[in-house]
Amino acid sequence: MLDPFQLPFVQRGLLELLILSIPAGLLGTWIVLRGLAFFSHAVGTAAFPGLVLADGLGFAAPLGAFGAAVAFSAGTAVVARRRPGDQDSLTAMVLVGCLAIGVILASDVFRSGSNVETLLFGSLLLIDGRDIALAAAAAAASLGAAVLFGRRWLAAGFDPTAAKSVGAGAPYLQIALLGLIALATTAALSVIGALLVAALFVVPSATARLWTSRMLSWQISSVVLVAVEGTAGLWLSVKTNAPPGATIATLSGAVFALAAAARAMPRPGRRTCLSAAVAAVAFLVAGCSSVASNDSGKLQVVATTTQIGDFVREVGGNAVAVDQILQPNTDPHEYEPRPSDIEGAAGAKLVFANGDDLDAWIDQVVSESGSEARIVDLGAAVPVKLPGESSGAEASRYDAHWWHDPRNAEAAVEEIRRALIEAEPSNAAEFRRNADAYLGKLRALDRGIAKCMDSVPATQRKLVTDHDAFGYFAKRYGITVVGAVIPSQTTQAQPSAKDVSDLVNLIEREGVTAVFPESSVSPKLAETIAHETGASSDHTLYGDTLGSKDSSGATYLQMEAANADAMVQGFSGGKRSCSIHGIG
Amino acid sequence: MNRAAASHEVDGGPLIRATSDRDVLAEAAGLTVGYGGVAAIENVSFRVRRGERIALLGPNGGGKTTLLRSITGEADRISGSLRVSASWATVPQTERSRLDYPVSALDVAVMGSLASLPWWRQPGRRERAAALQALERVGMVKLAGATFGELSAGQRQRVLIARGLVQDAGLLLLDEPFTGLDASSSDRLETLIGALATEERGILIATHDLEQARRWDLVVCLNRRQIAFGPPGEVLNLAVLEATYGGAIVAIPDSGGLGILPPHHHHQS
Ligand SMILES: Nc1ncnc2c1ncn2[C@@H]1O[C@H](COP(=O)(O)OP(=O)(O)OP(=O)(O)O)[C@@H](O)[C@H]1O
Ligand SMILES: [Mg+2]
Repeated sequence: MLDPFQLPFVQRGLLELLILSIPAGLLGTWIVLRGLAFFSHAVGTAAFPGLVLADGLGFAAPLGAFGAAVAFSAGTAVVARRRPGDQDSLTAMVLVGCLAIGVILASDVFRSGSNVETLLFGSLLLIDGRDIALAAAAAAASLGAAVLFGRRWLAAGFDPTAAKSVGAGAPYLQIALLGLIALATTAALSVIGALLVAALFVVPSATARLWTSRMLSWQISSVVLVAVEGTAGLWLSVKTNAPPGATIATLSGAVFALAAAARAMPRPGRRTCLSAAVAAVAFLVAGCSSVASNDSGKLQVVATTTQIGDFVREVGGNAVAVDQILQPNTDPHEYEPRPSDIEGAAGAKLVFANGDDLDAWIDQVVSESGSEARIVDLGAAVPVKLPGESSGAEASRYDAHWWHDPRNAEAAVEEIRRALIEAEPSNAAEFRRNADAYLGKLRALDRGIAKCMDSVPATQRKLVTDHDAFGYFAKRYGITVVGAVIPSQTTQAQPSAKDVSDLVNLIEREGVTAVFPESSVSPKLAETIAHETGASSDHTLYGDTLGSKDSSGATYLQMEAANADAMVQGFSGGKRSCSIHGIG
Repeated sequence: MNRAAASHEVDGGPLIRATSDRDVLAEAAGLTVGYGGVAAIENVSFRVRRGERIALLGPNGGGKTTLLRSITGEADRISGSLRVSASWATVPQTERSRLDYPVSALDVAVMGSLASLPWWRQPGRRERAAALQALERVGMVKLAGATFGELSAGQRQRVLIARGLVQDAGLLLLDEPFTGLDASSSDRLETLIGALATEERGILIATHDLEQARRWDLVVCLNRRQIAFGPPGEVLNLAVLEATYGGAIVAIPDSGGLGILPPHHHHQS
């Protein structure tokens, strides 16, 4: 039953959770008692500008988050002193300010994107020593403060009028409480993410309050409940391969609902209903708890992106079991690891990565899994490289979308062949045969696309896409990239009003006939711009990810062929299309 | 009572000469207080000394609570002066304390001990003993373990008084402490207040009970401004009561002729 807890990364997550249960449970009671639930939620979100600053100026993210959270708490405390009133509205006012600063910093000053937002999510599966140290510091501080200040916090909250006269009105008490909540929630950011902080800090305490009537018993039950719900949620998430944070949040919500319902129930019925509910939950857990077992005997490899997964399956054939981390139509810029990813990495011999910062998280996934796997950076092996963005979160030397040049795909396939043969020489013949066949198709693809593009006059090959992902394709086939709706190689940046109006002018000036939305990005903005300029937006491209199984872009070959067809149609105003032979 | 002649002008005015009397616990002169810069009571002048029970009289909205809050610092001083030279304990009007807190009557009483402890010290056995003793004095020791929010309004009032006793403050501010008490509790509280006064404390009591006020040492009559301040025997005359409660209310047949003076005893200045 307990096997998930034998995995080292789960053990680390568990340790982190157990440590965090102390500040979460203790502070949770004060959060509930003093009406600070919204504040505790907001303080995590308010860490955003700090994360952007840390990312832009290059210092440690937790430091940035904590700095912003402290500034936020201080801001709220100051505003509260100036304008006494409802804590929630004050918090909201300061929060809006923080978020506005964060957005301006992110989009206009540092042009950062994805990393910053992933920091707001966090994952229990990627816990490192620093996270544990931060949690331990938060636990020690909360425990100390609860012992030292608890009575005074209680007296101040119980009767604010008399707070000063009973020696509980000193400003440092309120500041200590808000500051501790800031410290503890930033420690929890890397675990459960800003949006789910309440699952640890508010809901369990609110639940425990239902059956306790004294501070001490409440605090103890609330710490225990956080630990139990966290442990159960983590276990469940590994069993069901769901993201742990969301699982814990769901579980704690369900327990609260159950406890509240049980309280509302007349006494005699309570027992039966509770046991029925527990049985139902147990049944549900049992039903979910079937983990996909590894195909034994095969060479275990991990591929980060959908394209690389496709390459590896083509070359590996039946001899290789591929664990592909990103699924079709998900944006690689928005990745949150699932338990199976880390388990997969733990058992893998090889990990194939895209490189160039597109999947930088893979290093952490591999190291957290305790795997000995060799990471093969395919981006480093391809011959054609274009410059990347010069600043911001995605700043890297090279544009990461190298697969859009089929010659690069060929080189990647050759690299995959080499690595597979090295890992399992006994299957060398099969790997060679598969790779040769596939390389032939890649060459056919390249020739086919070139021929299609030749049917469109060079002056009409003007490309406007959703984000800046088609540099390699454009370079290879003589297409001019006029602009992108999101003026960045990441999908996470936000265009400003000026960016949009500049692009509209550019499209009109250049006589661009089509704006191409991307399959994994919301088409809204592309459609708006197309509408404004009279260009068409009917032809969708596959940018960062393959399409789903039954789409026209289910494999790499289909994806690129579909892109070529979409572009030819778009450039020629629907007069021409493109079909490529020898790749089926 | 041979106190310095207290002033009781109906229309207020600059009043008390400052004294350096060591018995003075609080003193206001020409004090105007309010909320957010808007005056709620104007031109208040009074003085509290050790051993005095002072009744605050006035209609709803007259400013009794506001006057107490001027001492606790919750209401803003707009003009005039206020000097508070003793520690104070407050028992707020009942509806303002929190009923949803997980605290027992004893916990609440123990809160009174925090003020005299340094910030790193926690209340211990001695503080609990003091709290129990205070609960004993207000007749609540049997319910010391009960959850505060589950007590009756009168019982809660008494627990809050016990907290004030534990605080051992020189100045007690009681905002309508008799509201909701039954006759025997009420008598008991009055006896307690008398005992506290003999312990050299000053006690300010907001009340709507004129008869009670007559038994105490001084009264302050408030109706958005100070109507009068002085010993009840001198101050509680028809004109003052009329000005305090408004003309219609002054049918005071229950006074039994106890010092209701015809409206000529005050000096117009
Ligand atoms: N927090 C506040 N903000 C603004 N005005 C207030 C506030 N509290 C009281 N006031 C106003 O101050 C005036 C005096 O109110 P106060 O509460 O002092 O009256 P009171 O004599 O205690 O009345 P009651 O007998 O009803 O307790 C009233 O007009 C009231 O509207
Ligand atoms: Mg009042």
